[in-house]
Amino acid sequence: MQAKSTLKKYGIKSIESKYVSTRKEALDFAGKDAIVLKLLSEKALHKTKAGLVKLNLKSDEISKAFDYLETKGKQLKPYKIIAQKMANSGIEIIIGARVDKQFGKVLMIGLGGIYVETFKDVALRIVPISDYDALSMVDQLKSKNVITHNGSSTKMITELLIKTSKMFASDKKLTELDLNPIIIREKDYDVVDIRMIQ
Amino acid sequence: MKDLTRMLNPRSVAIIGASRDPEKVGHIILQNYINAGYSGRLYPVNKNADTVMGLQSYSSISKIKDSIDLAVIAVPAQIVPSVLEECGKAGVKSTVVVSGGFAEVGNKELQDQLAEIATKYNMPTLGPNCLGVMDPRSRIDTLFLPTYKLSRPQIGGVSFMAQSGAVGSTILDMISGEGFGLSKFISYGNAAHVNEIDILNYLMNDKDTNVIVAYIEGISDGKGFIDIAKKVTKIKPVVVLKAGRTSAGIEAAHSHTATLAGDYETHEALFRQFGFTIANDISELLYYAKILDSEPEPSGNRIAIVTNGGGAGVLTADAISLSPNLKLAKLGNQTINKLKKSMPPLVNLRNPLDLAGDADDKRYGSALAAISEDENIDMVIVIVLFQTPGADSKVASQLIRMKESIKKPMIVISIGTSYTQMHKIMMESAGLPVYDSPTAAASSLEALLKYHMYKRKIVSLV
Repeated sequence: MQAKSTLKKYGIKSIESKYVSTRKEALDFAGKDAIVLKLLSEKALHKTKAGLVKLNLKSDEISKAFDYLETKGKQLKPYKIIAQKMANSGIEIIIGARVDKQFGKVLMIGLGGIYVETFKDVALRIVPISDYDALSMVDQLKSKNVITHNGSSTKMITELLIKTSKMFASDKKLTELDLNPIIIREKDYDVVDIRMIQ
Repeated sequence: MKDLTRMLNPRSVAIIGASRDPEKVGHIILQNYINAGYSGRLYPVNKNADTVMGLQSYSSISKIKDSIDLAVIAVPAQIVPSVLEECGKAGVKSTVVVSGGFAEVGNKELQDQLAEIATKYNMPTLGPNCLGVMDPRSRIDTLFLPTYKLSRPQIGGVSFMAQSGAVGSTILDMISGEGFGLSKFISYGNAAHVNEIDILNYLMNDKDTNVIVAYIEGISDGKGFIDIAKKVTKIKPVVVLKAGRTSAGIEAAHSHTATLAGDYETHEALFRQFGFTIANDISELLYYAKILDSEPEPSGNRIAIVTNGGGAGVLTADAISLSPNLKLAKLGNQTINKLKKSMPPLVNLRNPLDLAGDADDKRYGSALAAISEDENIDMVIVIVLFQTPGADSKVASQLIRMKESIKKPMIVISIGTSYTQMHKIMMESAGLPVYDSPTAAASSLEALLKYHMYKRKIVSLV
């Protein structure tokens, strides 16, 4: 949750979410919307692969999914369950950053979600990046036409890159960052999952 | 920043460890200085000889009365620090330590000692464990490889810096087989004192250097490198070949980013970000060096192809179309009208322009004259297959003549063995780059365009 407020400070929009510790909290958070429930544990870094993400839950499915994750969670202590509003569909990208021993802070963008490790279609630059750098990062991707919706969301993505670059450059403690996936639609986006390592 | 001016343009050179024994490194270096026709003052230093190769020899650097701009040190590693100390006391301006036996074999302490002495006397010191420097203009040559083994390139505008001596000398040998020439060769080995940043800074300001070519294994000072990288490509192109593509795995990679943004990827990103031209192997290094050395900034990305072989024209058109930023030009109406008058009827007036197998120097000349004035064309590829009946030395001469008047980038593709190679050298010596395949030509034009796009902050042309 602290990660979300950090993002907000730099004008990066992440999807509405809340930690829940009971069925009721999950149901209250959902209201009439479909939600996602995720189990967070240091022992499970690839949540999708481990089956710890339950997507698109309607009201009657929420309790069952919560119970399932709670049982799993007890095996992977310490854990937390997070409820998240379901993002509208779009293209999944990743924006990340790390500290290189030699060159300092490095920013990355790529085709995201479950494809990131398969296609390794990523572009990197040393932080801080210029407008030109942001544009050339997007241009370098083989998937550029897919993630930019043939160019119509390019500006939104390059602005997001610049904001992430600023955030990472000014945060002295942050050593690794994954915003993955970010769901990109033609006119807007949602940061769905955040990993910050200090 | 350490100034390398005296190292590369010394008025006086001492060779410490100069030997009468032809198998000793110090012997070969002195021999090379004599062979290269070095015109400055040359002083062999040898404890046990009065003369070496007919030159008066000195028992130590301190015995030489002259002021020494460069001392080449070729003595066993253990005594390098004391020799370097003597050089410092004698006021030597710069040194090259060719001796091995330092950090590369785990002897880090000895190397640190060397760096300390060089710093204390503010005496730019190259190496250790390196081939040193070569400059065909000032006729210095500290390479301990005899000329019968390693041909020396002619004088030109490409400067080449290499960490590894072996890869460095291999590429140097390859450059000598190309028609383009060398400005400076700097092999910097373990980079104990002078490092890649000092060298880039020197070459950036060197007026005889048009293009810098760098073979890099590792970078010793990342932040310093970023600073110089930002500056250098604004002034001249840098072609880089980085060894160590495959990362040995990253410890404790918790995030996707740490897994995907590994060591090579980060180097590559840095090179891209600051407009370096990235070569993936030694042949690409040479391809890009020669086009960036001789060709002007293109006015755009539209390519005309003139050929004496239909198939080669189609292969080249394919290679152009597959290049990220290049495309085939459409010939202008004026050009077509001019060609109608000068070409025989069998020539199809389109791009690629196939002049047919009997094309001679006159036909090439008329075609290029028409194309050179066409505003729809930014760059020209001329294919000459020297196996055909019409292609001979007159065609090569014609292209050299046309090159003088054509302001657009123009390169040649010629594929073949001895007869072709002879003409390749002839054309390249006159500043006309020749490539041995359509893909090499296309990727080189792309590299030329990309460099100028970077300078003008243009991301994409398509």
